[in-house]
Amino acid sequence: MRQLLELALGKGGDYADLYFEQSLFHDIILRDGKVNAAGTNSEGGLGIRVVKGQNTGYAYTESSLASDREKAAKTAAFIADGMSPATAPVAINTLKLPDRYTILKPWDNISPQEKMPYLYQLNDLIFSADKRVKKVTARLADSTSRIEYYNSLGVHCTDTRPLASLSVSCIMEENGKRETASASRSFRMGAEFLQPDLIRELAEEVVARTAFLFGAMQPQGGEMPVVMSSGSSGILLHEAIGHAFEADFIRKNTSIFSDKMGKRICRTGITIVDDGTIPGNRGALNVDDEGVPGQKTYMVTDGILTSFLHDRISASYFKVNPTGNGRRESFRYMPLPRMRATYMENGTDSAESLIASVKKGLYVDSFSNGQVQIGAGDFTFFVKSGYLIENGKLTQPVKDTNIIGNGPRALGMITGVGNDYRMDNGTWTCGKEQSCEVSCGMPSVLVSSLTVGGRL
Amino acid sequence: MNEKERIEQTCRYALETALKKGADQARVSAVRDVSDSLSVRNDSLEKIQFAVESSLMIQLFTKGRYGSCSTNRTDPAEIDKLIEQTLASVRLLAPDPCRMLVPASLRYNGPPSRMAHDQEIDTNTKKSLLFDCTAAVYGKEPSLISVTADYVDYRRHILITDSSGLNCSSEETWYSLSAECAVKGGGDTRPSDWEYSAGFFPDAVGIGSGAYSDCAIRALKRALAKSNPCKVKSGKYPAIVENRVASTLLGPVIQAISGSSLQQEDSFLLGMLGQIVASQLLTLIDDPLSKGEPGYRLFDPEGMATARRTVIEKGRLNTYFLNTYYANKLEMKPTISSPSLLILPGGKGNAVSLAGSLKNGIFVTGFNGGNCNPATGDFSYGIEGFLVENGQITKPVNEMVMTGNMLDLWQKLLATGDDALKTTAWQIPSLLFDKLEFAGL
Repeated sequence: MRQLLELALGKGGDYADLYFEQSLFHDIILRDGKVNAAGTNSEGGLGIRVVKGQNTGYAYTESSLASDREKAAKTAAFIADGMSPATAPVAINTLKLPDRYTILKPWDNISPQEKMPYLYQLNDLIFSADKRVKKVTARLADSTSRIEYYNSLGVHCTDTRPLASLSVSCIMEENGKRETASASRSFRMGAEFLQPDLIRELAEEVVARTAFLFGAMQPQGGEMPVVMSSGSSGILLHEAIGHAFEADFIRKNTSIFSDKMGKRICRTGITIVDDGTIPGNRGALNVDDEGVPGQKTYMVTDGILTSFLHDRISASYFKVNPTGNGRRESFRYMPLPRMRATYMENGTDSAESLIASVKKGLYVDSFSNGQVQIGAGDFTFFVKSGYLIENGKLTQPVKDTNIIGNGPRALGMITGVGNDYRMDNGTWTCGKEQSCEVSCGMPSVLVSSLTVGGRL
Repeated sequence: MNEKERIEQTCRYALETALKKGADQARVSAVRDVSDSLSVRNDSLEKIQFAVESSLMIQLFTKGRYGSCSTNRTDPAEIDKLIEQTLASVRLLAPDPCRMLVPASLRYNGPPSRMAHDQEIDTNTKKSLLFDCTAAVYGKEPSLISVTADYVDYRRHILITDSSGLNCSSEETWYSLSAECAVKGGGDTRPSDWEYSAGFFPDAVGIGSGAYSDCAIRALKRALAKSNPCKVKSGKYPAIVENRVASTLLGPVIQAISGSSLQQEDSFLLGMLGQIVASQLLTLIDDPLSKGEPGYRLFDPEGMATARRTVIEKGRLNTYFLNTYYANKLEMKPTISSPSLLILPGGKGNAVSLAGSLKNGIFVTGFNGGNCNPATGDFSYGIEGFLVENGQITKPVNEMVMTGNMLDLWQKLLATGDDALKTTAWQIPSLLFDKLEFAGL
């Protein structure tokens, strides 16, 4: 390792790291009442990064031959063009890390035969719950990634990361109309993930979500107050502020929040966190992908912007400690500042009082996707279901509408925060250049004005 | 042994091993990529990345059952282990008689496909290209915050073989150059925009052609034009959708006629084959054999031969996209798994000339999030763009949402341009639609 690090620093780089990964993925799929497809993917490799100032050289190899690894190190070294090679440290400090994802039943030991009954049970529960069910597709996926990391500061660590996900989608038909909805759960855990309660919960959720849509319509569009339910409404935080707080954008001065450190960005009482320490959470990390221990980062404390989300490069640039947000999809990618589990802490209002305070508006409770423009601040999220609010009461069910707002303005317009915080444990995946597992949560909140897409 | 021979040897070994260990049939696909990417931000080389990547996918068919495995480790021991484990799992699954290899009559039987440049491009040429690109704007516009230019090239070898004698191979190179500019806008905003050029050969990005890349200049112009946007009153407006984002509206249509959506009955075009589904101005052709164009390909991932086909003709739906599996499930004939090079012929003009016919409307230049319900076709997309007033493209607009239903939308197609960009596989020109619903103020 020392020799590879020295080769990587051979052109005068400031810093180098080695990221070894070996991952095994499995999935089985139920379609048309049968579990009739299974897949396995095994992959591994080494990513070598060299940093010079804010600039990065990166190369990876899938080969375990020393010659191929040395070639990768020399390639990454080229980001620096100096003639005074740095020396790798002699002392290696192996990090002692907590265990936030204890594996009770390793996935490697679980055969499809043990997994299949859960998919069949899920299928049966959904079909028996509602006669309108026409089709069910379910996918059970598990992976175990083994990471070993070294850097030129002498940091060494290992981490074994499990991930289990169960997703189901359902199609119902009523009077010639079809509707579709889905539900999912994902945790960093072993095969103890598979529990009858989980299957029942998912079956009930997907049936309820799909059935709901037959009575729902796209709402009337325009600006209006929006009450966002607890749980998956955390997508608001991910899109409206989370990305714009990622410090690569701040370092490049392209985020709309670039000049806001230490300033008030929303009302007193609002605290927003990005957290890698929740045991078993999809966004949990014992250590990030550049050897920084997983931690809890307060981005907004009592309405004041208190921290951006840093990797080692941005932390060095701003002369602060990295926040453990340096993450990557695999050894094929260089790390970037990425979110983990992003949520808002509880406020003092009840969800009912937030709804009761709205004369005419929208209540939203399930979402499929979102997006943001970092510099302009405009963010969107797609609402799968909700209700109109009329005179403080939930009335007409609504569906399939995109909501758009501007990050800083929307934050300033959060006028009520509920006391019903909930983490959403769906298969949230962030797609900033690379794919990364995240999660989000929130208490109910009232945003006094957002633009709701809809019919006129 | 060269790359092609190495891949052939790996595929042959995997195929023989699969059959030896008990598979009745097998398909093996191997891909090897060598890629290089560099980024320059402002006047500094920000990022270099080099990668050599292999992947091997083995699809196993045994006793009417199906499973697959993949790996980036191509040593025999890894392949042996993976096939053994996967076959053990597959034997536990429920039978699925619809899984089978591509029928002989539909297989690609032609020579290897090659769309590749012979020489490698040296690193200094790539760096010069990027520095020239950013230098065209850096330090020349006071409101410019950041300009980033990215260069990517790759050489890709693909081989697909199966136990019935299929042998499809291809080699392609790809070169792309993009630039993104962020500028100081109104208040705290920092609007940004991008431009892009790409193709199978390096002249697509200006290498060797003597042509000067103006990507950054065009990106800067677009970013500046977005400063100080406004939101207009909610209402029904005629809309022009710019060529570079028009394919977003076509995506749900293509998804709705794909085998997986149709078989799962999760499609707003289920049962619509042969019926009118759009304005008669919409003719959509899949033209995979148009040599040199992005999207050009002779076979799909199953090894099925591609062919030119009219997907929608004057508004009438002519075909579904069905691979072997979904065709069998639906008891239909396979066509092809997915479109390759989509073109929309017959139009005239560009966004500016289409705007000339409007008293007022909205010119959509970008979509911001949103989605479409695959079962019903109901959609809702965030948009940005410009107002059209008295035939002229005027003020920028943002933070608005366009909502409707896909079937209704395509019936409202009033005109199509002939300005499709040649840098993408879905070459859709600017489109003019009759009144669409926009939510704003």
